[in-house]
Amino acid sequence: MIIAERKPMPEILGMLQGARKVLILGCRGCVAICSAGGDKEVGVISAALRLGFKKAGQEVEIHEETFVRQCDPEYLEPLKDKGKEYDAVLSTACGVGVNFIADRCPGVKVFPALDTSFYGANLSSGEWKEMCAGCGACVLHLTGGLCPVARCAKSLSNGPCGGSVGGRCEIDPDVQCVWHMIYEKLQEQDRVAQMEEIMPVRDWRSAGHGGPRRRVREDLLP
Amino acid sequence: MISGSNLERVLKSGQFAVTGELGPPKSGDPEVVREKARILKGHVDAVNITDCQTAIVRMSSLTAGLIALSEGVEPVMQMTCRDRNRIGMQADILGASALGIKNLLCLTGDHQKFGNHPQAKGVFDMDSIQLLQMVKGMRDGRRFQCGEEIKSHEPRLFLGCAANPFADPFEFRAKRLAKKVEAGADFVQTQIIYNVEKFAKFMEMVRDLGIHEKCYILAGVTPPKSLGMARYMKNFVPGLDVTDDVIKRLKDANDQREEGINIVVDIINQVKEIPGVAGVHVMAIEWEQAVPEIVKRAGLAPRPEYEGVEPVLVTSGAIESAVAQAREEAAQELKRQIDEAKAEAEASRGLIAKEKERTASEISQLRKQVEEAKSMVSQKEAEIQRLTKELEKAKQEIMSAPQGQAPAAGGASQTAVVVEEPLTSREERVLSSLNLGLQALRKVLGLSDEAFEALRRFLEAEFILHLGGVPAGAKVAAPAPAVEEKAAAIEPASEPEEAPAPPSEEKGRNKEVVNLVAKGNVLLHKQDFSGALEVFEQALSIDPDDEQAKEGAEKARAGMAEPAAEAAPAPAEGLLPPCPEELTQEEWARKWVIRYVAKGNVALQKGDPSAAREFFEKAFQLDPNDAKAKAGLDRCEGAPAAAPAPEAAPAEEPAPAPEKAEPESGPEAAAPKPEEPKAEAPEKKEEPKPKAKPAPKPAAAPAPSPGELSIGSLAKDETKLQERAAGISEELYVEKATGAIREVVLGDGEKAITIGGSTALPFYWFEGEMGNPPRIAFDVLDTEPEDVPDSLAKYYSDVMGDPVKWAQKCVSEYGAEAICLSMVSTDPNGMNRAASEAAQTAKAVADAIDVPLILWGCGNADKDTETLREVTSLITDKKVCIAPLTDANYRNLGATAMAFQLPVVASTPIDVNLAKQLNILLENLGLTLDHILMDPSIGAVGYGLEYTYSVMERIRLAALTQQDDKLMVPFICNIGREVWKAKETKLPSDAMLGDQERRGVLIEAITASSLLMAGGELLIMRHPKAVELTKALIESLT
Repeated sequence: MIIAERKPMPEILGMLQGARKVLILGCRGCVAICSAGGDKEVGVISAALRLGFKKAGQEVEIHEETFVRQCDPEYLEPLKDKGKEYDAVLSTACGVGVNFIADRCPGVKVFPALDTSFYGANLSSGEWKEMCAGCGACVLHLTGGLCPVARCAKSLSNGPCGGSVGGRCEIDPDVQCVWHMIYEKLQEQDRVAQMEEIMPVRDWRSAGHGGPRRRVREDLLP
Repeated sequence: MISGSNLERVLKSGQFAVTGELGPPKSGDPEVVREKARILKGHVDAVNITDCQTAIVRMSSLTAGLIALSEGVEPVMQMTCRDRNRIGMQADILGASALGIKNLLCLTGDHQKFGNHPQAKGVFDMDSIQLLQMVKGMRDGRRFQCGEEIKSHEPRLFLGCAANPFADPFEFRAKRLAKKVEAGADFVQTQIIYNVEKFAKFMEMVRDLGIHEKCYILAGVTPPKSLGMARYMKNFVPGLDVTDDVIKRLKDANDQREEGINIVVDIINQVKEIPGVAGVHVMAIEWEQAVPEIVKRAGLAPRPEYEGVEPVLVTSGAIESAVAQAREEAAQELKRQIDEAKAEAEASRGLIAKEKERTASEISQLRKQVEEAKSMVSQKEAEIQRLTKELEKAKQEIMSAPQGQAPAAGGASQTAVVVEEPLTSREERVLSSLNLGLQALRKVLGLSDEAFEALRRFLEAEFILHLGGVPAGAKVAAPAPAVEEKAAAIEPASEPEEAPAPPSEEKGRNKEVVNLVAKGNVLLHKQDFSGALEVFEQALSIDPDDEQAKEGAEKARAGMAEPAAEAAPAPAEGLLPPCPEELTQEEWARKWVIRYVAKGNVALQKGDPSAAREFFEKAFQLDPNDAKAKAGLDRCEGAPAAAPAPEAAPAEEPAPAPEKAEPESGPEAAAPKPEEPKAEAPEKKEEPKPKAKPAPKPAAAPAPSPGELSIGSLAKDETKLQERAAGISEELYVEKATGAIREVVLGDGEKAITIGGSTALPFYWFEGEMGNPPRIAFDVLDTEPEDVPDSLAKYYSDVMGDPVKWAQKCVSEYGAEAICLSMVSTDPNGMNRAASEAAQTAKAVADAIDVPLILWGCGNADKDTETLREVTSLITDKKVCIAPLTDANYRNLGATAMAFQLPVVASTPIDVNLAKQLNILLENLGLTLDHILMDPSIGAVGYGLEYTYSVMERIRLAALTQQDDKLMVPFICNIGREVWKAKETKLPSDAMLGDQERRGVLIEAITASSLLMAGGELLIMRHPKAVELTKALIESLT
């Protein structure tokens, strides 16, 4: 899922300066699951904003609402008209939601409440870790299911660099060396020989370096 | 031939190759590159030009490589994948090839995180293996990476790669190298090798895969420049295996640089023997000067003649057409030069004639000067004679005065200084020392009688003058500088064992020898026999016939034999209770040494040096090498009630007592000591006064000196717990601790203080020792603080805003034992003063005081790292304590502390596990726990004191009763900061809250005393009266 993190409150207060009527718009998708922008966080943010505005001596009317998702057009329908009543719509969705509102709801001033961080998994309560870079060219079948593009600091393709010591990455001892993990995984599966093959240089177009990406499935088009 | 480079040629000819390394400058200065190239030229076959190594911006490797080439040094251009994508890299490869670069080393590159632009986007379009593949494709396949053809002039490059035999997974390392060779590597340079054994294993795997037959393997080596560098590489460079042996060799070496070269030469000689090694790559990082020496000593000099090394600034095609043109131009140029030379020759003929004249006149002038100097010398001699006469006269005048005093004591013979004046006992002593010194000096210098007599007279005059017993007219003689110098030289001779330092006019003996002998004698006197022997032998090596040195050496040898004989039975049973089973004898003895030293320190603190001496002596007997015991003994000597010198103490042991109790009443016993004849003292002291129970707390301690302030000492009436609990079995209330808090030394020199050492809960005298008494450091802010209540400000109003004066005031006026400089001005959320500026202030404070200094950052992890690093680079001669190290910056600051061997403060939010965790992290880093003070984050009265107290108590209990080794570390409590920000200290005086000052002082003192009970060992406080009150409490309880 998409992992995001709330922006610092001073930054949010800064972008909302001058607004008299604000809608805080949550999303029950990924950001709700990673505890960044669901119903609960919308409540927290609005309480913090009220306090912040009050401290700054600013009168503000704050409304709260949470959509099922902000990345599907049908859920955004009600916002098209209602959104215009507000000086600012603070979206707690990921960057996708904010963009989509900006695209679909002309006249609505949308602001991001979150920094969208990465595609990751929930390790344990309160901890998420990047697992995928969305590079558009999976090599996971060659690497025992572990992604070197997302999880190696240098996105290496051909095994651990000289900074891998004791299964730890040189950039931070808290980071595991994914190539060490791959080696162990393949060894376990008796597939180490795969690592002796040279992985050719990558085509980064699918990773976004070829311009904004788009996917079309003809059979589903209206 | 692939590229025809010199390196390729040497390797292909089967010769053992040597490559070097050249780091381009962090500037656009070509001279830096030229200079380094010149040093390496002729000593190596090619030189690696690094490509922004460790991700720090430098001159590009291509450019620096070309500059090296223009100096006639063959470059191996390094190229990393970090900073360019395939477009940029291929472009540079074409350019490099065009301009005559023939070797390319392909690397992935260090991660940008390590460099000076960690915010940069790392490119990593490909990795090193794919880069090799790409360049090989360009060279052999004549195609760009995209597949497009290179129509002509494909880059001909000899391709290299790196391999790290010490990274993990070890078994994969040789296979990865195989991949690189398959991708296109012609040669490989390995990571720096210190662990030759592991490298040999790696080479075995390499040979099994047959890689050594497909590419040339150069073993990477680096001379460690210092112990600090070796330690840094060991602890902070991932994938570098520095062996303990290397560290030890450097540690033991007198000259670390020399040993560094020895180490690397040894390694080269070892790797040379490993099959498959085709050469070495010598990386003398910022120490290029060492390379020629290393190559020579490793037997690798001279290097084969260079071939094919020439800068190509035009393409090879253009050369041919240019040659004809150049030839014509050269001929013309030659003609022009010949004409010019002719004209010059004419001109210089005239010049030579002129020069001759000038020299002649100069010589005659010099002659005149010599004459003048000669006459001046004779004048001076006459002057000296005149002065001597005057002195003589002055003396006679004094003698003729009606005072018939006996000459001064001290063997005043014909050659003694004689003064006919009533002398005080001090003066008498001075005079006798002076006489002894003079005698010694005379012997050493071999002065003639006349010379000696003259010297003596001068001194005499000087002495009388200082006593003020001579008419002012006689003063003329005194200020002669030569005499004063001599007097200074004689001063150290006041101890008869010491030989005086020889003045410069000494003839017969070598100056160095005399110096060494003097040094040796001093060491002998200090009973450092081995040290003395070493010095004497050094002296003998310079002059084998020197009698004094020989004699000294013999004495030293005898001295060494003696204590050795004594030492064997020394750890006598009498000093040690039976060793518990879980400990070895040494461990047990060690524990007791620490205990004795701790007891000694306490006694010393209480002003009872004789008791202290007793403990230190015991510690010394158990372990004659214990530095703390020695230091303690020395301090006993320095103490006012000094007892006899340690060597005078008889070696006999006191009667066995399970734990040596202190004399029943410390002060009474100690008081008459100074009057007692020296020889008697030790026997008397050695009399064992066993007590039934190990209750080392003396009944009374010297009363604290009552200052003029209203805070007096506390009552010292005490009923011992044993008495109060009479009838109750001791087992019911005594809970002996099994752990002991480590000792941490702050500061250096005489004013150093030792913190910690307790073996029981604070002030639980009935359970164990408290080690060193708690100490208090005064808090000094590095900027004028705002919002300080008058009740505090009035004590510092004259110095606030000037930390140097503030600190000095704390020391001189309030008797501070330590200073904590709080660098609040560096806070990025406040003044945000630059680290370098703050460091200057810290340096000034450090220079102005001699007590230990704690430098406390603003609490912002990153800024503190910056500030404290600046500070430590400025203050190199003092052992300051740096604070606070948190989980966010402990790695950087821990490394700094290790490098300078500084004590640190480990700061954590108030929590047992966090405190322990940070200690573990610091220890893993390599910092020993006896350099750490724990700051548990404290709260003042009314601001969380209770929580602080209970957490500290739990930490202490875990250390003492649960053997939690990682928590056996003393506490430091930053009290002043917490107290004086509480609003209760700032509210004005009123009926309900009472007097403002009294309130503030009490809040600080109560916080302090509470934390003392919780185990606080070093308190940082602000109000002088609060400090006084707390000190009174400490003194009454210890």
